[in-house]
Amino acid sequence: MSGMTDKKNAFRDNTMTLLAIAALAVFLWQAPRILDGYKVRIINLIAINAILGLSLNFIYGIGGMFSLGHAGFMAIGAYVSAILILTPEQKIAMWFLDPIAPWLLNLHAPFLVSLLAAGFFAAFFGWLISLPVLRLGGDYLGIATLGFSEILRVLIMNLTPITNGSLGIKGIPAHTSLWMSYGILVAVVFGTVRIMNSNFGNVLKAVRDDEVAAKTMGIDTFRTRVLAFSIGCFGGGIGGALMGNLITTIGPTMFTIAQTYSILMIVVIGGLGSITGSIIGAVLVTTMLEWLRFVENPLTIGSLNIPGIPGMRMVIFSVLLIAVIIFRREGIMGMREFSWNWFFSLFGSSKPTKGGERV
Amino acid sequence: MRKMVLAVLICCLFACGAAFAADDVIKIGFYNCLTGQNAFGGQLELEGVQLALKEFPEVLGKKIELVIVDNKSDRVEAANAVTRLIENDKVSAIIGTYSSSLAIAGGEVAEVGHVPVVATSATNPLVTQGKKYTFRACFIDPLQGAGAAAYAYRNHNFKKAALLVDVASDYAVGLANFFKQNFTKLGGEIVSEMRYASGDQDFSAQLTEIISKEPDVVFLPAYFAEGAMVIKQARDLGAKFTFMGGDAMDNPEMVTLAGEAIEGFLYTGFAYAPDMPDMNDVAKKFTENWYKEYSKDPNANAALGYDSYLLIIDAIKRADSADPEKIRDALEATKDLMTVTGATTFDADHNPQKDVGILEIKGGKKVFAGTIVP
Repeated sequence: MSGMTDKKNAFRDNTMTLLAIAALAVFLWQAPRILDGYKVRIINLIAINAILGLSLNFIYGIGGMFSLGHAGFMAIGAYVSAILILTPEQKIAMWFLDPIAPWLLNLHAPFLVSLLAAGFFAAFFGWLISLPVLRLGGDYLGIATLGFSEILRVLIMNLTPITNGSLGIKGIPAHTSLWMSYGILVAVVFGTVRIMNSNFGNVLKAVRDDEVAAKTMGIDTFRTRVLAFSIGCFGGGIGGALMGNLITTIGPTMFTIAQTYSILMIVVIGGLGSITGSIIGAVLVTTMLEWLRFVENPLTIGSLNIPGIPGMRMVIFSVLLIAVIIFRREGIMGMREFSWNWFFSLFGSSKPTKGGERV
Repeated sequence: MRKMVLAVLICCLFACGAAFAADDVIKIGFYNCLTGQNAFGGQLELEGVQLALKEFPEVLGKKIELVIVDNKSDRVEAANAVTRLIENDKVSAIIGTYSSSLAIAGGEVAEVGHVPVVATSATNPLVTQGKKYTFRACFIDPLQGAGAAAYAYRNHNFKKAALLVDVASDYAVGLANFFKQNFTKLGGEIVSEMRYASGDQDFSAQLTEIISKEPDVVFLPAYFAEGAMVIKQARDLGAKFTFMGGDAMDNPEMVTLAGEAIEGFLYTGFAYAPDMPDMNDVAKKFTENWYKEYSKDPNANAALGYDSYLLIIDAIKRADSADPEKIRDALEATKDLMTVTGATTFDADHNPQKDVGILEIKGGKKVFAGTIVP
């Protein structure tokens, strides 16, 4: 009996997922027609932030490894993609202080190839750094990864023949369309869900929850964590590449610790370990900062005239963040996930699994 | 109860978010670093623009509305800010910003949105290179670097120079390079090239190395806060050589930070100082009004903000329209418009050909030492 309901539910869930993706597609198709360029840009940024949030969540929330190096992996992705996309003429014009390294000059690839290369490069560096660094745990791991991303930034600043130093790169074609960023977001979400439900996902969660116990069960915990870390870095690289292709210019000052913190904020607000949470976090953080701009405009309420104070939105945003952390310590979703079961239980048509499923 | 409080709070926020719309105004956007790392420059530029707005509040019989947006000294925010100005506020033209890397990010958006931007103090050549809609009120770094080199070599007979460069700043790296090129071309010698990164506090290692090479002059294309620190530490180490800097050193705070150590410091800047002799009429009026409005000294950033506004107003008048495309065409045709920092005519790359001014710190005050043609 329960087997039959499971089957029925699986069919319903798959249909609903497909319907939701179709709805998203219709929305993306219509968005540029009904919304202005500003809103489209914000919607685009949401997808990129969600990809970045998910990839960090995979490392921190699901893998239990406190990493502060995400900006570094974004930088690798953004630079690899930008260098591959630019034409040789653009490179000659832009590297006007030190000429670009000859082996990079004629390297040219289409956008999707550059995106994959960005991911693989970031994953490779993630793998490389994780070998020594993942022997540490907790806060020490955070400090080591933070150090790595700072070293990377200094390298980018000084390796002028490769990265154009502090001048940065401009004129990257704006390849990040809504279709591109949301297509990749759907792929990333799908991939993460599949990994979570696979054997590897279970092993990873076991390692996160109790490393000693996992080891006793015969799990190669080090290998598991290295693999998970590299996968997370892959996502970071892709996110960085998409970001570079959205704002069309990159430079070392973009990838500071502040960038890591803003991704970390998305993960923590949404809920550590929750895929749904990271997406909600990305939506909130991206839209709130833009939407709150009105508090910086001069305001007239009756006869009261309040002059605009620049920076006010950051103050209010911080207060909202503190409120979230006070009222919901574990983040908006905690460790729960969105599920169709929970969705239908809202309308009372299915057996209630209150508040979604715990992962 | 807690949920209620939260809900009420959020409702209040939404209610305040309602926008006010007014007809019969011409909107000019302003995006700049009002917070973050470069806020000191962005704030001064805003004050310059606001002064100009007060003086010329109308054009073509319509009121001008200035839409101010902060870019947090961040590239992503700069691109967002310009998109917002174009798509949401539907401005006719845009002023901004301090810092070349931000101006590049914003300029890319304006290029797609077909709205003209006048960059205030973004001096890197890449800002307007190949751009149809980006202009600037300031000169470019190659010109400034050449001016500094020529002044050092010809007027002061300096033969040996050292460089101390902030590698984290695109501005410093570019300017140092242009100085080096011109100085060696003139016949001078670069005896030492030292580096540091923004945020450093201790420069004694680099300075000791430079002192051992005995240069006549050290070129220091820094921002004023770090520049002042470097000069102070150099004097403490017993350095006797002259320091030269670029336009980013032009800030009243500089003297307060470095104290007596900064005496004799030379820097290139825009041909404007509040107490310069034979000022042009626009500069006179600007200085007069500035002291009426604010209780501090004006600097080049404030003047450039003011100038950017004048450039746009002039273009709107000649275009006789608030249409961004027409304003762009008019801007391109700007000819000998008198501004605070000199007469402005744009060249093919939308860079104004302006004189490079040389300023010197004497008796704790900046003194205008003349202009130089490189």
